[in-house]
Amino acid sequence: MSSLAGSHAIQIEQLRKSYSAQTTGDVHYIIKDVNLVIKGGEFFVLLGPSGCGKSTLLNMIAGFVSKSGGNLKVDNVEIDRPGRDRAVVFQQADSSLFPWLTVRENVEFGLRMKKTPKAERKQISDRFIQLVGLSGHEKKFPKELSGGMKQRVQLARVLANDPAILLMDEPFGALDAMTRRTMQKELVNIWRETHKTVIFVTHDIQEALLLGERIGIMSVGPSSNITDVYDNPLPFPRDVASPEFYSLYNKIQGHFEE
Amino acid sequence: MKWVEKKWVSVTLLWLAALCIWQLGALIYGPDVIPGPWATLQGGRELISDGTLVQYIGISFYRVLVGWVLGSLLAVPVGLIIGKVNIIRIFAEPFLNFIRFIPPIAFITLFLVWFGIGEQSKIALIMYATFFIVVLNTLTGVMAVEEDKIRSARSMGASEWQILLHVIVPATTPYIFTGIRLAMGTSYMAIIGAEMIASNEGVGYLIWNSRLFFRTDWIFVGLFCLGFMGFFTDRLFNWFGRKVLYRYGVVNVAARRR
Repeated sequence: MSSLAGSHAIQIEQLRKSYSAQTTGDVHYIIKDVNLVIKGGEFFVLLGPSGCGKSTLLNMIAGFVSKSGGNLKVDNVEIDRPGRDRAVVFQQADSSLFPWLTVRENVEFGLRMKKTPKAERKQISDRFIQLVGLSGHEKKFPKELSGGMKQRVQLARVLANDPAILLMDEPFGALDAMTRRTMQKELVNIWRETHKTVIFVTHDIQEALLLGERIGIMSVGPSSNITDVYDNPLPFPRDVASPEFYSLYNKIQGHFEE
Repeated sequence: MKWVEKKWVSVTLLWLAALCIWQLGALIYGPDVIPGPWATLQGGRELISDGTLVQYIGISFYRVLVGWVLGSLLAVPVGLIIGKVNIIRIFAEPFLNFIRFIPPIAFITLFLVWFGIGEQSKIALIMYATFFIVVLNTLTGVMAVEEDKIRSARSMGASEWQILLHVIVPATTPYIFTGIRLAMGTSYMAIIGAEMIASNEGVGYLIWNSRLFFRTDWIFVGLFCLGFMGFFTDRLFNWFGRKVLYRYGVVNVAARRR
């Protein structure tokens, strides 16, 4: 294990989440015996069909959902609640952004909670608003922005808190195909610039291959877990049309058709 | 016919039509049953010249305003707490749903016994009329806050207190506003009842007392005053909501319908 002790490594051992059926009292597992180690600075994609429990796993890492068994550690510290070190980018920007705050105020939210002085707050929010390409839109309210821009706000908002880990739950799932491609490219750039550890949940094989350094495949629930982990050594920016991409795509798709 | 759709045209036409029907009714049934517009105006001048009308409007308005403001100030935090804390809600909700069916008027006698025949009993009655509506609306608003908003605030390092102050309160503002606005209506109803039964001042007293002299025109004056008082306070409140609370999503109901 010592070789994996990079900064902000996530260690998951025999992790379980169960619930008791209300009528029968039977115990059901949403995820069961998940084992996974994610290195610091890695871009890891959780890939699986809808309802396989990948969001549950992400929410457990975020600290929103408590575990029923096993270990879940970040930097060798057991996780039992949400923390500033793990930022979450939600699928629905409309339900997670604060509509009563402007773009800048949304981005500065975490800093304000931390009581960062105003001047410093502005400096930080300027930097991340620029990083996600929203300069000039600082004074707008979320309802005045398009879907893609709202996700940019979410991204800037969590990056402003300087978290070690970014947890992203199908953040581009609700976007149109074109915006989605742009956002994927920019996310890769932002990741390479900021060196965050990213866990990205998706059910889109192409998206998984475009983004991830490693791709964990989750089996169909209930009692789902990570059955395989694929390495994706292709260099960035990745070319969807390249033969290597195509062969990896087929390999993973074959996995789901079994 | 586009000009009919202009607001001032339609409003003027409406009032003219109402005046005509009113006048017609007065001609058919005689001034003792339905005093016409002119007779009502005369009655109004009479009441204004001896100063009673202004005084009565003032006193009714004062009672409503004090009771309504105090009731709302009390109700908002109570609604927030009931909405936020599950244990309290489980106990409070049946009670709230029981008591909200008891109209304020039904409490008049008791309030007179408890708070005396002075201003206190009337203000207490308005507070009662305001309190439960505002509590129920606030509570509904708190329950409607999206989980994603609370989760994102929490993972950005907000404390529970900060979440209440910076997420739940702003997200609930439109509900609170609607509750307070609805409460204004019930407050007027409650005060008129109270003044009819147990007061010797106020618009309700005027309407009730006029029967002794068979002054139906004074009753009409009283009714008009009530309508205008309600109309203008509502307009003022609504305007305030649009100007000051715009960012919280408080919008003019009429404007949104268009």
